[in-house]
Amino acid sequence: MSTPASNAPPDAPLSTWAHYAPLPGVPDELLDADGRLTPHAQRFARAATQLGREELGRRWDRAQRELRENGVTYNVYDDSRGTDRPWQLDPIPLLITAAQWREVERGLVQRAQLLDRVLADIYGPQELLREGLLPPALVFGNPGFLRPCHGGEHGPQRYLHLYAGDLVRGPGGGFQVLGDRTQAPSGMGYALENRIVLSRAFPTIYRDTRVERLAPFFRALLDTISAISPRQQERPHTVLLTPGPYNETYFEHAYLARYLGLTLVEGGDLTVRGRVVYLKTLGGLQRVDVILRRVDDGYCDPLSLRSDSALGVAGLVSAVRAGNVALLNALGSGAVECPALMPFLPALSKRLLGEPLQLPSVPTHYCGDPQAVERVGDELQRLVIKRAYPRSGQPEPIVGASLDNAQRDALIARIRAEPERFVAQERVLLSTAPSWTGEGVEPRPLSIRSYVVSHGEGYRAMAGGLARVSHDMEFPRISMQHGAGSKDTWVLADAPVRHVSLLGSGQARLQLSRAGGDLPSRVADNLFWLGRYLERVEGTARLLRGLFGRLTDEVSADDAPELPALCHALAIHTELDARIEFKLDGGDPEQLERELIAFTCDGALPHALLSSMAGAYRAAFGVRERISGDTWRVLGQLRSEQQAIAGSQRLTASDALDALNRIVLTLAAFSGLQMESLSRTLTYRFVDMGRRLERATNTARLLWSTLAGVQPDEGSVLIAVLEVLDNAITYRRRYQGVIQAAPVLDLLLIDEANPRSVAFQLAMLHDHVQQLPRGKERPFRSREEQILLRALTSVRLADIEALSEPDKDGSRPRLDAHLQELMEALPDVSDVLTQGYLAHAIPQHSLGPRGQSDAGLRLPIPKEEL
Amino acid sequence: MSTSPPPESVTYRIRHTTRYRYTDMVAIAHNEARLTPRDGPQQRAHSTRFVVDPAPSFMVREQDYFGNWVNLFAFEEPHHEFSLTAHSEVTVSARALPELVSTVPWEQAVTDTLDPAQPEQLEALQYGMASPHVQWSPALHDYAAESFAAGRPLLEGAFELTQRIHDDFAYVPGVTSIATPVSKVFEARRGVCQDFAHLQLACLRALGLPARYVSGYLLTEPPPGQKKLVGADASHAWVSVYCPGHGFVDMDPTNDTLVGTDHTTLAWGRDFADVSPLKGVVLGGGSHTIDVAVDVTPTQTAQQQQQQQQ
Repeated sequence: MSTPASNAPPDAPLSTWAHYAPLPGVPDELLDADGRLTPHAQRFARAATQLGREELGRRWDRAQRELRENGVTYNVYDDSRGTDRPWQLDPIPLLITAAQWREVERGLVQRAQLLDRVLADIYGPQELLREGLLPPALVFGNPGFLRPCHGGEHGPQRYLHLYAGDLVRGPGGGFQVLGDRTQAPSGMGYALENRIVLSRAFPTIYRDTRVERLAPFFRALLDTISAISPRQQERPHTVLLTPGPYNETYFEHAYLARYLGLTLVEGGDLTVRGRVVYLKTLGGLQRVDVILRRVDDGYCDPLSLRSDSALGVAGLVSAVRAGNVALLNALGSGAVECPALMPFLPALSKRLLGEPLQLPSVPTHYCGDPQAVERVGDELQRLVIKRAYPRSGQPEPIVGASLDNAQRDALIARIRAEPERFVAQERVLLSTAPSWTGEGVEPRPLSIRSYVVSHGEGYRAMAGGLARVSHDMEFPRISMQHGAGSKDTWVLADAPVRHVSLLGSGQARLQLSRAGGDLPSRVADNLFWLGRYLERVEGTARLLRGLFGRLTDEVSADDAPELPALCHALAIHTELDARIEFKLDGGDPEQLERELIAFTCDGALPHALLSSMAGAYRAAFGVRERISGDTWRVLGQLRSEQQAIAGSQRLTASDALDALNRIVLTLAAFSGLQMESLSRTLTYRFVDMGRRLERATNTARLLWSTLAGVQPDEGSVLIAVLEVLDNAITYRRRYQGVIQAAPVLDLLLIDEANPRSVAFQLAMLHDHVQQLPRGKERPFRSREEQILLRALTSVRLADIEALSEPDKDGSRPRLDAHLQELMEALPDVSDVLTQGYLAHAIPQHSLGPRGQSDAGLRLPIPKEEL
Repeated sequence: MSTSPPPESVTYRIRHTTRYRYTDMVAIAHNEARLTPRDGPQQRAHSTRFVVDPAPSFMVREQDYFGNWVNLFAFEEPHHEFSLTAHSEVTVSARALPELVSTVPWEQAVTDTLDPAQPEQLEALQYGMASPHVQWSPALHDYAAESFAAGRPLLEGAFELTQRIHDDFAYVPGVTSIATPVSKVFEARRGVCQDFAHLQLACLRALGLPARYVSGYLLTEPPPGQKKLVGADASHAWVSVYCPGHGFVDMDPTNDTLVGTDHTTLAWGRDFADVSPLKGVVLGGGSHTIDVAVDVTPTQTAQQQQQQQQ
């Protein structure tokens, strides 16, 4: 890049940049070939210098803290920090003049138009193939060409609404496109976040530099969403479809959804009925008009597209074809997101637009062309080999110059074997821009991703974009997956910049809803199961603690006559039935200890400790964006305990006891946060309903398994039960040393003041279900209210003396019947709640011969009944 | 195979019943059926009627990318089972095939030599590439190449390949599923009709020869004197090779035969994934069992028609 030297003041006044030295022979975005500031950088440099280096550093520390606290993350697969890598932002923006950017914008807009026309052709008449402008392999052998989306007369008006190009400086100083993004371009939300953080950290620099705003781009996006809605008379109900919290750019999905006022949904939140798409909410089904998708198109419909997808909506293709829903981008638009297309674009532009291609691609050769293969062999040293149709999970591009002779030969052999799967792109000497390293400023190679959105008849470009810098100077791979950093891109305005608000007064979205009835069912379902699993963990941990406690006390079985009863209770609690018998072979506590440890560490038993812990984490992860930082940390602790137990080689009884104690305390921390930090919305209610229902069941089972028949030495059993339910002290205070079945039952079954009694759980549940949203006003009680009221009343009216009276065979038939009735009623509550509110959240799976990987699809939560 | 000379055309009545039973309730199910026979080089489809229980909330018929008929339907009420029966009537005619040895040298039919400006050849190019179930290794390429010496007439080589697959591979039901890749079938040397079809497609396409997967039915003749067993017939699959000047020519590697009037066609595509007779996505359901029954009954042959007229 060269600029007329006469424009640069001789005294580049900038101590801040004094030590900044671009690499020799590498073009730089800030300094010209003579090491002087480019003219357009003057305004910025002056403002930055005024701030001073120290103040700059101080403000930047604060901004970075803010980024972390806002939870701005980019998920890196296989990173030990998993889903929590903080977003890397550089404080020094990339500066580009308005004049230069206008040229880029024109080029990007033209490219979007061109790619849209190419899509319309290959999903329509396919004239480009007949005319020889596209090799047939580029369509028929392209995994992104989705035949079910071939439109005929049903094709959408426009395929490409959002387009992004990755730009790099070419040898002549102009920009070139390194890659096209046409399916669901990512990064625009990060660009916005970068802008907000930078403009807040350095308001004076931002103001004095006069930077073009990003908001008009997003305004145009909202206009387009309105324009393409199939129901023009209504305000469109628009959702942002995300693959979920495990996706690398999930933060951005949540962020954009909030900024644009869209509902963030996963595939499981949507359903197709009669070829119309609906969002499943607690209040019922709500029609969806427009889907801004961040799911790759092949995964959008397990019926018509990839049957192994758990991310999509069955019947979506059919709903699109029926014209009942619009997608940005249209399904199938991934077909042109491939470097193999690049060599053909100049001719396609002349044919389809009648004008030359304005923004060139980095020179690219399609290896399916026999001549190209020859050149690749000869010139590999200055080429980068890429997949013709890149898909995530595939190997990265290979830089020819990085290979030794053997690797070169192997690569060339691979290309010759399957030439149509590869392209060779000329290696670009990337321009550099100054980056803040923490100590100083150093040159880093960069590329810019900029965005275009359809608007009216044409397209509109974002004034700016997401610049990314690599820290690898020799073979820079600009990919956030490889630890690249980001920069804001500032397009310098010629004139003062007007403020644009995203939400015009007439456009503001009013969210009218009764009692949060628009809570997606999947979210409620996950919350409900989070409550259930956590309570199940607690119940199991408490029982195991009771058992291990007795074993570590160095007792013989004779000294602890309650052991068999507790073992039986554990078997009932975890529904082991006949699967494992805890036998006290001749009163051998060591045998029991071994069995209990094996039981505790068994991650495969469906209702045991570890699988319940895993279930809780899974449910929580599914609603991660609704879980506070503190609560998430508590769940993280629970996760660590689970992993420690699962990974332990030789757990002793006292290790187990320690771990169980920690688990019980961690669960108490969760309950505390839930009580004190969660407002009493439906979110709270669903977690608590899950927990109460589970606790009622667990307590009823414990009482039934230990008290329905009179055990030998019942006193010890009763004390153990009181301990397990954390009621020993309460009991002792009330009844001193006398232990009898009737007062124990009173305390644990019908004392509504006791938060561990069955009656307490039923009363809470009854309160919750009265507050749930209903489709219509109904004069009568809901089914779940009826069941709960009947159960609660029967507990309240129970005659404790009669219940605890044993018959001459030593069993308590009335208690047995009473508890059995209760244990049968409680699953009904779960069923009715599920049918009424959560039924939509049942996992879906594919049938037919291709559905044989069903198991892998049943992602959300196993729905076992208790 | 029948020993009498094949009739010139046969009209069949086809009944194909599929029944799904689930262990758990299904809340909603979306389905795609490719059970309506299409017209083809040797076939006229007259009618298809569906009987579905429970009644679907809607059913529409569309044509897919390959020109097959697709019936889209959904069940939106809770159910524990459903059954779907397609009753169809088609007429299959014998086809004047070229002498195999007089067809073009195979090198003139590979994708690189085809001209996309000609509609028939553009159509053929669709079927010349790898597809989800049709992938190949160098070993498979070499196996295929044995039947295609330089300059060998295309259909002669293709039919020899059909015969070799029939001879080299054992028909063994139950050892493969639709998820079994061609490479495994090639290694184990056994499988069923869809495996052999995919295998032959992989062989042909490895050489650059376009060929498509055909789904349909085969009339299985009962032993002389015995009544034809109801429900004994099943879904079948074979391949169709593109031969310039003659269009697509069907061959059945499972039965070592060129396709005459015993085969009735439902649909064709690049491989099984494009033409799966019935697929669906259900909400809930637990595990399921499937029962399929197919009857293919000739109503009359052209000869019988003539006799009746006389």
